[in-house]
Amino acid sequence: MTVLEVTGLAKRYGDVLALTDLTVNVAEGACLVLLGRNGAGKTTALRCMAGVLTPTAGSVRVDGIDAAAEPAAVRERVGLMPELPGLYERMSARTYLDYFGSIYDLPAQIRTRRIESLLELFELSDAADRWLGSYSKGMRQKVALIRATLHRPRLILADEPTSALDPDSARRAWVYLKDLQKDGCALVICTHSMEEAENLSGEIGIMSAGRALAVGDLSELRRKSGLQTRRELRELPTLQDIYLAIVGNHRDQHERELAESRSA
Amino acid sequence: MSVSWPSLDRRKAVLVAQRDLRDAVSELRLILAMVALTVAIPIGSAIGVRGLAYFGGGTAVVDRLALVGAFFVVFIPASFSLVLALESFVGERERTTLEVLVSTPLKEVEIYAGKVAAVLAISLALCYGGLIVYCLATFTGLGYFPLSTLIALALSTICQVGAMVAGAVIISLNARTMRAANVMASFIILPMSVVLQVEAALILLGRAEFLWGFAGLMIVLAAVLLRMGLDGFSREALLAREVGLRQPVKRAAAALRTAFTNRPGLFRLLWHGRIPLLIAAAGLPIGAEAGYIAGLTGAIPGSVVKPVLSSLIQASGEDPGAVAAIAIFSHNVLAFALALPLAVLTAGVSGFLLTFAPGFLLGYAASQSSWALALSGVFPNGLVEIPAAVIAGGLAIRVGAASIHMEPSGGWTARVLTATADYLRALRWLVPALAVAAALEVRLG
Repeated sequence: MTVLEVTGLAKRYGDVLALTDLTVNVAEGACLVLLGRNGAGKTTALRCMAGVLTPTAGSVRVDGIDAAAEPAAVRERVGLMPELPGLYERMSARTYLDYFGSIYDLPAQIRTRRIESLLELFELSDAADRWLGSYSKGMRQKVALIRATLHRPRLILADEPTSALDPDSARRAWVYLKDLQKDGCALVICTHSMEEAENLSGEIGIMSAGRALAVGDLSELRRKSGLQTRRELRELPTLQDIYLAIVGNHRDQHERELAESRSA
Repeated sequence: MSVSWPSLDRRKAVLVAQRDLRDAVSELRLILAMVALTVAIPIGSAIGVRGLAYFGGGTAVVDRLALVGAFFVVFIPASFSLVLALESFVGERERTTLEVLVSTPLKEVEIYAGKVAAVLAISLALCYGGLIVYCLATFTGLGYFPLSTLIALALSTICQVGAMVAGAVIISLNARTMRAANVMASFIILPMSVVLQVEAALILLGRAEFLWGFAGLMIVLAAVLLRMGLDGFSREALLAREVGLRQPVKRAAAALRTAFTNRPGLFRLLWHGRIPLLIAAAGLPIGAEAGYIAGLTGAIPGSVVKPVLSSLIQASGEDPGAVAAIAIFSHNVLAFALALPLAVLTAGVSGFLLTFAPGFLLGYAASQSSWALALSGVFPNGLVEIPAAVIAGGLAIRVGAASIHMEPSGGWTARVLTATADYLRALRWLVPALAVAAALEVRLG
């Protein structure tokens, strides 16, 4: 069953076209990783998918619900983890998570049980009553991940979810996300970490200048990139190689088009 | 444009308010400072008033000073509301916590109501706490307790706090950092300081009914601003406008050009804006009636209105040459020119005054003589002047309406610029009409 259906999605801010013609589907238990440079439109895509921003064109459906028509219903089914954790500095982790659990109407008992088990999982139990302002970057990111997944959303949208985590914590976060996937949750992850992309992904979307240049699994992308083997090591190209080849080809083509338009 | 208040889940709004309250009171130094001001200022003021009473300052002076002290006591905590509101909206936006909040199923109205309620609760608790301390310390045993004036003061304080909070929300939609918000806060502080000076003057006048009228006006102002804040507070406005702000000068020039292009001609424009025109037209008879009643009852002293009337009569009577015509023309053009910027600041009231004020003077003159005599003073020039004033007034009301209308998708500047451009384009016809009216007044009036 498809959880997320995005068709021809576009978003314009004034005269800036931040996103254009994005079409992707994410099934139950599947994961889509969006790769791209800064300003490629990944965050805008996530905000539109979360029912936070209204698309300029195209449509977003979560569990068949149109995000433009019923944004609040979509937000109930989505857990958004923005790039910056956005935590309240003068609140303890436990109180903070309880607050967001209340917003999502989780019953008190379930809320407490989930919060305690997730704090335990991410090794935050001992610090749970400290103010979030005293937390390290990595600890904050863990709290943000717990917050985004506390209500067991159907769709998790995460912007660089492990960028501040140490390798051990990052691995723990991936395992946790994969467990959620097994329970039927769909994932859309934006990242700059190729390791994360390879670890989590079923499908990968490569974005540049608001466009999805290529969407597919690793072997499809390998074919699209034109790279058969790594030149030096004589082995299959990594995702990093594929990404650079696709974005590089796009840039070359863009520059050729610019040069042609100038000469014309 | 429909005016309805969206429904909200009160429990969700209370959740937001509780969190904001907890956050505000979690900083001990801030709390101590606020409580100290709430207690120290009333006690200091009370000592001053009682000292004056003890050392024989005179009943009238002590009574007036006791009220000014009350104003002073509520004014300082009320001003905290702006800081608290900016912190609650812009501060959260800057720290990206607002982005997290808007990605939850909470409706905009629930976030807005919760945050506004939290700021109001803190500010009003401080205001009224201070006022109670002050009243206990000042009026006990003084033999004087101006209950009506104090209630009016308490009511207008709620509205002032509400207006400042709503203003802070409007700022938060246009400022991404606290630094920018603090600079933009001048747009709230300066008008509010004028409002407070008027309030202080009314307290010194010692007329409770004026203060009640002022409180009524503050209720309208607060309601308009709170509504504007609610209309403008949207996920789209908070997140989407962070990009797309490149080349501000070029964008401003383009917006200005757009405001003047593809606009309807004068007659079609007047038809589109017929309701504001009718409101402006109603200003004349309403003003005449008000002026007539004011003249008959002596509600406004003759020493205030008569100098205005006599200067107008002198301007048209003593020197029937070109100089008088130029003076009349300049006076009217100046009124039309001032009505435009004032329309933005007064929500279009200046447009209504363009017809109300002459009507008031006409009615007042009629109360002192007769309607026939008063009307002969505006004939035949009024046949041109009055329609011109109605058109200018109607278009100024449209500018005012645009200035208090916000939409989640933004576009406030474009709407105000378009209404302003319509007014300026209409002046191409209205200014020559005023010249004709001035000539008629001098030659035939």
